[in-house]
Amino acid sequence: MGVELIGCNLAAIDEAEDRDLFKKVCEEIDLPVCKALACDSIDEVIAAAEELGSFPLLIRPAFTLGGLGGGTAFNMGELVEIASQGILHSAIGQVLIEESILGWQEHEYEVMRDGSDNAIIVCTMENIDPMGVHTGESIVVAPQQTLSDSDHQGLRDAALKLIRRLNIKGGCNVQFAVEQSTGDYRVIEVNPRVSRSSALASKATGYPIARMAALIAVGYTLDELPNPITGEGTTAAFEPTLDYCVVKIPRWPFDKFRTADRKIGTSMKSTGEVMAIGRSFEEACLKAWASLEYGKPHPRPLTMSDASDGETMDERASEKLPTALLEDWLRIPTDRRMGAVIEAFRRGYSIEDVRDLTGGITRWFLRRFEKLAAIETEIRAAGEIGMRPAGIPESEMRSWKGAGFTDLHIADALCGFPESGFKNLPTGQDETALRMRRHELRVHPRYRMVDSCAAEFAAVTPYYYSTYEGGSAGSGVDYVPGLSSSVKQKIAVVGSGPIRIGQGIEFDYGCVHAAGAIQDLGHEAIIINNNPETVSTDFDTSDRLYFDPLTLESVSEILLREDANGILLQFGGQTAINLAIPLANELPHLSTMGLELTMEGTSPESIDEASDRERFEEFALRCGLRMPDGATATTPEGVRHAANEIGYPVLVRPSYVLGGRGMEILANYKQLESYMRDAYLSSDRPLLIDKYLGNAMELDVDAVCDGEDVLIGAIMEHLEEAGIHSGDSTCFIPPQNVPDEILEQVEEWTRVIGLELGVRGCYNIQFAIHDGLLYVLEVNPRGSRTFPFVAKSTGIPLARIAARVALGERLCDLDIPDPQNDAVCVKAPVFPFIKLRGLDPAPGPEMKSTGEVMGSHVRASAAYLKARLATEIPVPTQGGVYITVKDEDKYSMIPLAEKLNAMGFTIYATRGTSRVLRSAGDLEVKTCYRIAEGRSPDALDLMRQGKIQLVINTPRSTGGAVLDGNMMRRLAVELNIPFVTTLAGARMEVEAIKEAMDGIPEPRLLEIKSLN
Amino acid sequence: MSESSGHGGFCPGAGIRGVEHPPTFPDAADSLLNSPGSEQPSGSKGVLLLADGTRFEGTLFGTEEIAEGELVFTTGMCGYQESLTDPSFAGQVLTFTYPLLGNYGVHPGVSESSSVHPRGVVCKQHMAFPDHRDSVGSVHDLLVAHNIPGIEGIDTRALTRRVREHGTLLCVFGPAERADEMETILQEMTPPDADDLVAEVTCDEPRLLNPGATDEKGESLPRLAAIDCGVKHNILRELCRRFEVVWCPASMTLEEMIRDWSPDALFASNGPGDPAHPGTATDARKTLAAAVRQGMPVMGICLGHQLMGLAAGLRTYKLRYGHRGSNQPVMDLETRRVHITSQNHGFAVEDPIQGMLAPHPSGACSEVTDNVLGAEFKVRHVNSNDGTVEGLDLLDKPAFTIQFHPEACPGPHDASPLFDRFQNMVVEHLSRTGAEIVTKDGGP
Repeated sequence: MGVELIGCNLAAIDEAEDRDLFKKVCEEIDLPVCKALACDSIDEVIAAAEELGSFPLLIRPAFTLGGLGGGTAFNMGELVEIASQGILHSAIGQVLIEESILGWQEHEYEVMRDGSDNAIIVCTMENIDPMGVHTGESIVVAPQQTLSDSDHQGLRDAALKLIRRLNIKGGCNVQFAVEQSTGDYRVIEVNPRVSRSSALASKATGYPIARMAALIAVGYTLDELPNPITGEGTTAAFEPTLDYCVVKIPRWPFDKFRTADRKIGTSMKSTGEVMAIGRSFEEACLKAWASLEYGKPHPRPLTMSDASDGETMDERASEKLPTALLEDWLRIPTDRRMGAVIEAFRRGYSIEDVRDLTGGITRWFLRRFEKLAAIETEIRAAGEIGMRPAGIPESEMRSWKGAGFTDLHIADALCGFPESGFKNLPTGQDETALRMRRHELRVHPRYRMVDSCAAEFAAVTPYYYSTYEGGSAGSGVDYVPGLSSSVKQKIAVVGSGPIRIGQGIEFDYGCVHAAGAIQDLGHEAIIINNNPETVSTDFDTSDRLYFDPLTLESVSEILLREDANGILLQFGGQTAINLAIPLANELPHLSTMGLELTMEGTSPESIDEASDRERFEEFALRCGLRMPDGATATTPEGVRHAANEIGYPVLVRPSYVLGGRGMEILANYKQLESYMRDAYLSSDRPLLIDKYLGNAMELDVDAVCDGEDVLIGAIMEHLEEAGIHSGDSTCFIPPQNVPDEILEQVEEWTRVIGLELGVRGCYNIQFAIHDGLLYVLEVNPRGSRTFPFVAKSTGIPLARIAARVALGERLCDLDIPDPQNDAVCVKAPVFPFIKLRGLDPAPGPEMKSTGEVMGSHVRASAAYLKARLATEIPVPTQGGVYITVKDEDKYSMIPLAEKLNAMGFTIYATRGTSRVLRSAGDLEVKTCYRIAEGRSPDALDLMRQGKIQLVINTPRSTGGAVLDGNMMRRLAVELNIPFVTTLAGARMEVEAIKEAMDGIPEPRLLEIKSLN
Repeated sequence: MSESSGHGGFCPGAGIRGVEHPPTFPDAADSLLNSPGSEQPSGSKGVLLLADGTRFEGTLFGTEEIAEGELVFTTGMCGYQESLTDPSFAGQVLTFTYPLLGNYGVHPGVSESSSVHPRGVVCKQHMAFPDHRDSVGSVHDLLVAHNIPGIEGIDTRALTRRVREHGTLLCVFGPAERADEMETILQEMTPPDADDLVAEVTCDEPRLLNPGATDEKGESLPRLAAIDCGVKHNILRELCRRFEVVWCPASMTLEEMIRDWSPDALFASNGPGDPAHPGTATDARKTLAAAVRQGMPVMGICLGHQLMGLAAGLRTYKLRYGHRGSNQPVMDLETRRVHITSQNHGFAVEDPIQGMLAPHPSGACSEVTDNVLGAEFKVRHVNSNDGTVEGLDLLDKPAFTIQFHPEACPGPHDASPLFDRFQNMVVEHLSRTGAEIVTKDGGP
């Protein structure tokens, strides 16, 4: 085709990614890799153990399936036992005895090299979790902290040697394991590309690795490129040096997936990460913690409620976490480990105890955590002898703030971390009181530039972080040249924080456009965010970037520092919109400090009206909008009563949620009681009980309102019926099966909602159509996750329009392009099931997807096929289909089964389903056993034998088939067999198969028009 | 991967082929070996006063005394022990821009000299409990052992910006209650550049470091006289792998060297202060120039490079705030390759065409002099950031000098092939001139 692959060479990719080749490469250039010896007998195994020197040792049998017979041996006895089994299981009677590097330190080097062989280290990083935990799952610190210069230079040389030997031009990441007590090291792996670690390294140093790698790929050398941070006169061929500490903490989805296995290890389970920068490790660490948004913004003493995820009515919730459990949490790496380490120091464990329990966390880090616990104890002790926020002396305030403690953390500690929680601290002792005192003492953070050169040169990167360090230095540093004389309006955009279930990268898209819109209008855009994986945290996306937690405290301080004129909260997902009301409450105080801030867009009052269930019901009633029957309850009795009034099935969920946490469809009284056992109810955390509209069609609408006009971006039709979380649904633009009169009603209601609610900017509405009637399910007074999909489908730059409207422009004054309408666009979800064990891979009311893909074509079926192919789960064109559906779906399956059969597929079904399918006529169906019957062949057998290429399984929400379905879906995930769980999905899948058999549809060019 | 020997002392002749009983010299960390360690810092309040009137408050560590000197900063993120013991920091108060100091402690056998040279140490946070297998104490312990004051809790970024904007400036710090005394000291203080700093740090007498050193064929290595203007231990280690090295005081003349040691080549080291200082630095410059004129192979590093520049008729001048750190990019104009180098210097050699780049606001520079080398030169290396001269090659003479530190320690090893370049230059020179490397006696 005449297309040249630039910027990487295929040999390098092979050599770096093939384990054996990589080992050879390392040996060739004298770099140590893990020692391993092949043994054919137990005598050889024993000799190998002696040669390798120390336990533990890994035993890997050669040529077995699924590592059968392998393991880790901690002594000779275990070794002989495991190796004997291994030799037995190996097809060639051989085992590999390999030294174990479990518990060694893990260090990373980000390397750049150009075509002239100039090579530099952009960043070094050290994992707090020792070897055994994937670096993506580990808490990571930059720069490395515990290597001496000669240690570091040795690894630097090795990293450079590797990138040169592999002849990589561009960026690469080299990982090392280091045995701290001897200084021995091993090369673990090389990623011959820009990776997740390089994104972190870029944000940690300010050095834009990906951009520089791209410039190298097109032929530039590092010395030819101006330094992107310090600008003209300096060169890109230099190594960043930091004068701060960076801490990255992964964001795991276990708050949503409560049944998933929380153990972290060699595979990635986190969905995102947060990063924080501070002038000490302690400060960076606590700032990162505050950025996580798990519900606990700072470490608190651990109780049984932590063990049950803080969402329980368990009477033991206030009990101290038992020692045995605490030690388990230290021993087994999970998302809870950092909290457990701090707790251990609270309870007086020694550094050595914790090191042993955690399998080798470096003492230096433990010492820092111990210090955090000590400061916390100091604050607590001050509280015990009567110190109140109003009486905190300046030196203590500075010292505690300097260690990274938030206002709320200090207030909570002074109160002794009451059982009633940090949200219910007494007036005068709460976060507000603390903040008042701090402001009275004029203790504010300083903002430092991330300049890659430790202030050696005047940098041009408008990239800042806050720190409470500063002591007595009166003069502010790192001021922005020209800031004080700038006459431009300064508008802040609050980002969406870490990527998690329900709040993905889609929200960053909105933030980036919001920044662009602010600049379009001639203002200065200020972005606040804490997620290193985003475009919004590229320092050239905005006029100024603040890498800080998205808490009221840190956002307020940035607004003060900037003397900002406005703030936009509708693009950063729930994270940002949740700040609206607290910030509105804080404004009177901030104005006494000179801040004259406008909250741009929809008012906090309207946000509350849209988000508060009861207020919205009143609103709907007032405007004549139909809603499913629903009620709000704050007590168990109230919930039961409401469910009876409304009638089962009901949809139950906590209020103020994103991503459907704790949302379930309950078919009867028994299920309700079971749900209530786990639910958390209180006056400020009510439960919502709604009528569940069975078999309803769901629609999503994204729109913009300027107070007088409404622009409807698109109406999206969900493939799955209402009840499947909208984030997990497959949806179509334009709608395929909605009657025109309903569409008109949707448009009308959307207009009414926007205008009557007083929306300024974007909003999203979910509708359901049930028995021909339209219902409003919910209104989100903010940008939604479908904004990018709408923009890409229609070509209308909706986020940009919304931001400009939020900033006061009128829709009629904008030159809004016509939507494209010559194709169908399909958005399909992507699920993390393969990584997360213990999670039922069936979509439901709780969101489970981590991403989405899109297909576009003139034919809906072809557009769907493209989206399906993009999910990387195959679309079968031959083989077998296994059908097991709930009774009400059985007859509807007949035409689908016939179509599949006609296309050459073999149909397998359980007895009940096959009886119905056969009843239609001459359809040939092979019957197999239900899994619960425990006989062969069942579906699992057939799947393992490779006879099944598609599973159609509509799960019953109740009954014994639940487990059956779960096992089958799990296996399908592991074997990468597509499965559909709804009738609508099955119909579309059959259409896609038909399309696929005709060949892959041609590509289509998408265009998003720009706004003048 | 650590090169730490695990025991103290400095013995550059150890492990060199053909060398028996090499002499051992003290290492700055020796005093921490077998010592019960000093008490933890008392937490006393301290103040740091700058000549421009700025005042910083902090907490004292190390020796709780008054320190005074020229305030400079280094941007290396590790390698503090090497920096603290680098004689080029004589006369200065050293600020570490990396906020955490002392994470991995102090290690025996990796100091760059026998003592701590900065007159005081400034940092954001001192780590009282280091963590490393080789550690024999904290930075605090090292400072106490060498009677050097330190101050932590300082907003070192603000300090660095001040130095960047105003150029290096004089400072004093010490116990808060002695602030008045310090004010007076600051007013009366003279720039340390005026002192004969080289004389303070050079060795007392010439010593043969690796007598009888041979190459792998058993042939004697060429003999090198290394002028110690404040030489770093690792330079001597690197030289001892390639030459039989005589460690010479900076005031020693070429005649004395030839008379007593018959060297085949000469090396001029790094060192503190103004290269144009009329004292010992000028003695060393004369020795260097004489060697070049005689056609002897010569290499110079840092101060040695500046002395070569002066002898070549170029002016030396004080830089605005110097280059101190492990990430200075240097371009070799011949190969067009960029090396990341370790640097520590406050003066530079002017560019023959562009003159004095990045000068100190004071405009301090040397007098114009004639080229006394009897040879022309060209600029071979430049700093990729500010364009300052980083290396000179002499034309038709076996001599070159570099402003940066190929011996690293601290810092990257990118430039270490320059020692090989010198070795090849010497070997080639000897074979061209027909001179034979003969086993020499041990000197006087």
